[in-house]
Amino acid sequence: MLFNSSIFALFFALFFPIYLIVRRNVFRRNILLTIASYAFYGWWDARFLILVAISTSVDYMAALGASGKPVRSLDRLKSGAYLAAVTAASLVFAPLRNLWLALLVVAGILAATVWMKLIDHAAPERRPRLWLYLSLCTNLGILAFFKYCNFFVASFAALFALFGIKIDSPTLSIILPVGLSFYTFQALSRTIDSYRGQFEPKYSIVNYAAYHAFFPQLVAGPIERARHLMPQFEAVRSLDARMFYSGTLLFLWGLYQKIVIADNVAPIADAVFSAPAAKASAATLAALLAFTLQIYCDFCGYSNMARGLARCLGFDLIVNFNLPYFSRTPSEFWRRWHISLSSWLRDYLYISLGGNRKGQTRMYGNLMITMLLGGLWHGAAWNFVIWGGWHGAIQVLYRVLRIDSLIERWPLRTARGVALQVGAWAVTLTLVVLGWVFFVAHTTSDTLAIFGNLFGGSGYPAHELWTVAEYATPLALVEIYQRGTGKVEVLNSGPFLVRYTAALTVLLTIIAFGARGGREFIYFDF
Amino acid sequence: LTSEDIATAAHLHVRGRAPQRARTALLRVLKILVLSTFTLLYAETFVRLLSPQSVVPRYVVGAPWGVRGNMPNARYWHHTPEVDVEYRINSEGLRADRDYPFLKPKGTCRIAVFGDSFTMGYELDIHDTFTTRLEQLLRERGWRADVLNFSVSGFGTAEMLRTYEAYARKFDPDVVMFSWHYSDVDDNVRSGLYRLHAGTLENANPTYLPGGKAQNYLLRSRLYRFVADNSQLYTLLRDRAVVFTKQMLVNLRQESHAPNIAAEADDAGGRDEDEEVRAAQKQANLDLSSAVVARAAQVVTMDGRDFYLIEIPTRISRIKFRSSVDVLSASVRANINIISPLAAFENAAQPDLKLYYELGHGHFTPAAAQLLAQEAVETLARSAHLSACASPLR
Repeated sequence: MLFNSSIFALFFALFFPIYLIVRRNVFRRNILLTIASYAFYGWWDARFLILVAISTSVDYMAALGASGKPVRSLDRLKSGAYLAAVTAASLVFAPLRNLWLALLVVAGILAATVWMKLIDHAAPERRPRLWLYLSLCTNLGILAFFKYCNFFVASFAALFALFGIKIDSPTLSIILPVGLSFYTFQALSRTIDSYRGQFEPKYSIVNYAAYHAFFPQLVAGPIERARHLMPQFEAVRSLDARMFYSGTLLFLWGLYQKIVIADNVAPIADAVFSAPAAKASAATLAALLAFTLQIYCDFCGYSNMARGLARCLGFDLIVNFNLPYFSRTPSEFWRRWHISLSSWLRDYLYISLGGNRKGQTRMYGNLMITMLLGGLWHGAAWNFVIWGGWHGAIQVLYRVLRIDSLIERWPLRTARGVALQVGAWAVTLTLVVLGWVFFVAHTTSDTLAIFGNLFGGSGYPAHELWTVAEYATPLALVEIYQRGTGKVEVLNSGPFLVRYTAALTVLLTIIAFGARGGREFIYFDF
Repeated sequence: LTSEDIATAAHLHVRGRAPQRARTALLRVLKILVLSTFTLLYAETFVRLLSPQSVVPRYVVGAPWGVRGNMPNARYWHHTPEVDVEYRINSEGLRADRDYPFLKPKGTCRIAVFGDSFTMGYELDIHDTFTTRLEQLLRERGWRADVLNFSVSGFGTAEMLRTYEAYARKFDPDVVMFSWHYSDVDDNVRSGLYRLHAGTLENANPTYLPGGKAQNYLLRSRLYRFVADNSQLYTLLRDRAVVFTKQMLVNLRQESHAPNIAAEADDAGGRDEDEEVRAAQKQANLDLSSAVVARAAQVVTMDGRDFYLIEIPTRISRIKFRSSVDVLSASVRANINIISPLAAFENAAQPDLKLYYELGHGHFTPAAAQLLAQEAVETLARSAHLSACASPLR
């Protein structure tokens, strides 16, 4: 179900009045949120609700165990019953041939039971670690199978082929469940935080299920941290007209980014990147700039819509994008782009690898590993790994040359300082834009063709460039205002009449210029 | 203080607060009024400046035979960047300056034309429409013929057939022409009047009146008609709502006329299979339209009348056009008479000649209507039926 679809409008119109009735009772509210979230997700494919439920039931117990709390028989029973109920419900909506999923769940329950027996027989001090392993194996296992299985098999076959060994690599017909990378990472973070003592999980599977499947952010984030969002599911949330209005405006701004900007410039990018060979320079440049704008507005738009919806329900989600194209260094870019993922990678991967605590060389290595895996998170293909590598390499280069600290020292009060800062911004933006070539090109030949067309062609004036500029300019002006004033939510700041007129303008722009057809969000594929 | 004092004080307090409450309420109402006026004025200005709309109100109401029809005796204007056109609907719901009696005058041949906004003559003065030009050309060739225009904007083949069966038959036409435009595929699914069951066409819903009652009610209001005739904001909102509703209806009706495809979609899942499912749905929609066209031809022919399908070509560019009838099944195309202006359009096409309007709603220009009428006359001249019914003018 897309936020920008009529079916979602109908879904929310039915859901919201019931929500208002039950919202003052935590238990009932969370039951409703869980059911609504599962309906939202199941609309796409009911079979994969089982994966959400597996992740929920395992991590409910794993977080308790990893925190050192006892995982009672009752909790195990609750987890098992929850998984069985969701499995049965999802199979009702899936054809009979998918019964194998039920068998898979039974096998999974048996495996988990054996594992839990092992935990029960282990020494008490080892148990938290074993619970953590259960969560890691389950979530990363689901991710590895559904997202990376074919990629690994094909890559191994290609590797052996380099040495002249031919292996038949059978590719499985595996569908990538929407939002898998998001909710598995969110589940993992809660269990890891519990293990590290940074979060104390509670004994309520209903609260946790509602948190885990919260529909505004289930399929494309932000990847929330339990210590920020989980307490909100354990208390009655205040909600008034002002909050609802503010959430609606935030949703509206996200919708504008998505259907006015991202979806309107997308055809310019598609026209070139679907077959990049032998395209003119102007068209390639326009396509690259269009994609730069598209991917930002598509994902940032989704995040804003998710935050707006959550606010309409009384919940607060973290800011996921903070004007990333205004960054002056690649490191700053990653502190502003997909903040929930980059902070996840920093906290659970980079720091776990040793971070910058084990010398400069190791730090550069850790940075590269983090960025390579971050790239791989985006998709099971080498182009994403290369894209991650590109960002890792430029960050390492900036650190080796100490450019980050140099830029921090340039004062903004002098003309020279301003010029240097603007120069640093222009260089970073260029590097980021060039990086999108690796992201969008799926083969090496496509990558080479795009770079070749970009720098080797002729004739730059192009109608498409003007079209991209038409969509980019209003956004750039708004973001300059945001950057200057520090007000991230532009529609929620200023006097009433200004806010109202701005919101009305955005609404009319959506109606008049919004692309039709309900294009899917790019990050759904991740 | 006695209890009486307290009661008096409370009474005075309440009396004092009542006017204050009334004032607050009045202020609130005033604020809402001011804000609403500001919103409407601002929105209208925004649309006029940044997204100017062609104002094309549709005076379409529910007809007694269960589908839409032109509002009898309506008179309205369309304003686009290219034309300003007046529409006059007669008391029988036809775009014409006169009424036609059910009883056909002796020696006169009647041609009934069914179609959507193209044959209705949107963006064309009545003297430039296909039907008027056809009548003129026939008369110039010496045939006494009346061309009755039963077209209604938004019609698909299914609605044309219902109108023919329930209403137009009374006018006793000798020749019946249905137009065919690529949008008819979706229109036929959306109307839900027919469905295919195991390859056989069945009647489905008895009526198709989208917003019928509301539209009938609204069109009686002078204020509504003023807004519909003049507001670009209203036009924009209505157009977006129509697109949205049309797509919703296609999706819903798809389920009823091709349920197996939906089941297969559930079975397959995933995005790779979506393409195949969409292709299968498209084919099912085309099959439905082919069957409805075949049914129309059969019904008209069984009434002893000639049936023709008028092709409305799809515009690719000013000089390039595509056939729209080639989506119909080969067997249907082989068994019906098709009047196609495609070749005439391609021959006439020039970079400085518009055959379709380009800034308004993309309908025929007078040149295109004339070419289509010429093509139709050439075909009708070969019709034995027409020769038998019409007496050459002296």
